[in-house]
Amino acid sequence: MNGRRVLAITRRLLQQFRRDHRTLALLFVAPLVILALLGYLLRGGGSAPAVGVVSEDSGPLGGAVATQLLKSSKVSASEMDRPTADDRLRAGTLAGYVLFTADFSLRGRQGVIAPEIHLEGTQPGPAAAVVGAVTAALQGALASTGTRVAPKIVYLHGGSNLDSLDYLGAALIGLIVFFLVFIVTSVSFLRERTQGTLERLMATPLRRAEIVIGYMLGFGLVALVQAVLVLLFTLYVLHIHNEGSVGLIFVLVALLAVGAVNLGIFLSVFARTEFQAVQFIPLVIAPQVLLSGIFFPVTSEPIPLQYLSNVLPLTYAVYGLREVMLKGSDLTTTALQVDLLVGLAFAALVIGLAAATLRRRVA
Amino acid sequence: MRALDGVSLEVRRGEVYGLLGPNGSGKTTLIRMLVGLVAPDAGEVTVLGTRMPDLEVLGRIGYMTQAAALYTDLSVEENVRFFAAVTGAEKNVAEAIEIVELSDRRDSVVATLSGGMRQRASLACALVHQPQLLLLDEPTVGIDPQLRVQFWEYFRTLTAAGTTIIVSSHVMDEAERCDRLGLIRNGHLLAEGSVDDLRRQAGVDRLEDAFLKLSGGPAE
Repeated sequence: MNGRRVLAITRRLLQQFRRDHRTLALLFVAPLVILALLGYLLRGGGSAPAVGVVSEDSGPLGGAVATQLLKSSKVSASEMDRPTADDRLRAGTLAGYVLFTADFSLRGRQGVIAPEIHLEGTQPGPAAAVVGAVTAALQGALASTGTRVAPKIVYLHGGSNLDSLDYLGAALIGLIVFFLVFIVTSVSFLRERTQGTLERLMATPLRRAEIVIGYMLGFGLVALVQAVLVLLFTLYVLHIHNEGSVGLIFVLVALLAVGAVNLGIFLSVFARTEFQAVQFIPLVIAPQVLLSGIFFPVTSEPIPLQYLSNVLPLTYAVYGLREVMLKGSDLTTTALQVDLLVGLAFAALVIGLAAATLRRRVA
Repeated sequence: MRALDGVSLEVRRGEVYGLLGPNGSGKTTLIRMLVGLVAPDAGEVTVLGTRMPDLEVLGRIGYMTQAAALYTDLSVEENVRFFAAVTGAEKNVAEAIEIVELSDRRDSVVATLSGGMRQRASLACALVHQPQLLLLDEPTVGIDPQLRVQFWEYFRTLTAAGTTIIVSSHVMDEAERCDRLGLIRNGHLLAEGSVDDLRRQAGVDRLEDAFLKLSGGPAE
């Protein structure tokens, strides 16, 4: 062991870092940005889930609990009638609603507090918040008189038989395909640039569109095989809940893969080495993992982050996949139509951007 | 900085035209301009009678870049076949590999080949579609003298069949094999003509001296 030789290597590494400002910036800035984002996401006074309060109670108890709920800071509660609550629950603008039936006070006097909690059911976070807020409101409204609290929970989608994997699985299929396809394409296209073969291709009669579409088909094909595998595994080995059409899941995943291929081609322009291409992971992937609603529902994010979430392509893929797999939506569902259209628009946008980076006459 | 300034030259059909100049003189830029990868700020580039860039003409040009630009994870034949498919010349694959004498290594993955073999495979990719014009950017850089002689034999075979070749080099003995030469330095075309023309113009016996004299002193 020779200290001088060891230090020679260390010094050389530091010299290389000094030349690569981007890597340095990434090492020192990216963790702070990601942590700040996460901090803001979780502590930034995210919007409380919207909850409806429907009181059909003929006695006083329903009103008392409702008053407590309306004051709760855990949820953003508002009173409404039952048909409105049902509509809004279906439209996804309510995380849930609490129903105090006509006999609520009566049964309360008999010692059973039995509110009905209707939950949207596709997102575990808000569901827990709703149940928690209702429980707290009940405790506030009642003197502890040994009454039994037995809320009846009704799920619009899914239900209590869904576990975390069911919620995450749908979204993770999208994330896995997007992430892997993006990385493989960007590195592979970068190699095409660095090894000089792209220069060579540009000196042939190949058109830009032909290169982009060729890439799209090649990687798209591999991505689809991957998607089949991921889907079969999640559906038949992990038994993830799926109410919708497997074909529709495919369409969503294929769109996402096409978008990822072209995003990879486009972003490869901004990297000189494969090392730098890998740096896109924290820049492109990390924010989408945090903000696309996979782990934290978009609707409960702080408002400014919601704007950001709503321009991320993965957000729509996650919505779409949950729409199909948890709600069983089909092409007649407006929400799914929107997700598909956004997916198409994103794919078209990145195809255009990718083709634009292949301009001839550019060094 | 201008990579090229006021360069005006004409290459005749069926000749080997050498672009001679030190590294960084603008040879590569000139060749890239010929295939439309770089656009001139002023002036025009006409190749095979058509103003560049032009996709149809690109189909009649073969371009061999300085470093052997190949897919190193594919075999020789797969590389040649790919470039053949792009120009619609799949039927010539075997012949192109034959010309560069790589038939016995045709299934070898490029990454396992020596530098000289890669260079030959790269040439096969450039000539597989039987281009009328072959642009070779320092094709013999880094290969041994024996293979260099071989390359020039290939070139002569091709010009005999009517192909025009533009080849860049900074090696004098190679330049002497060209039909005509253009001396380039700092982006300027200093002189043009056959080897004899240039020697006469400079009034010296050796091409190397002619180059130094015509370019106004040793390269800095």
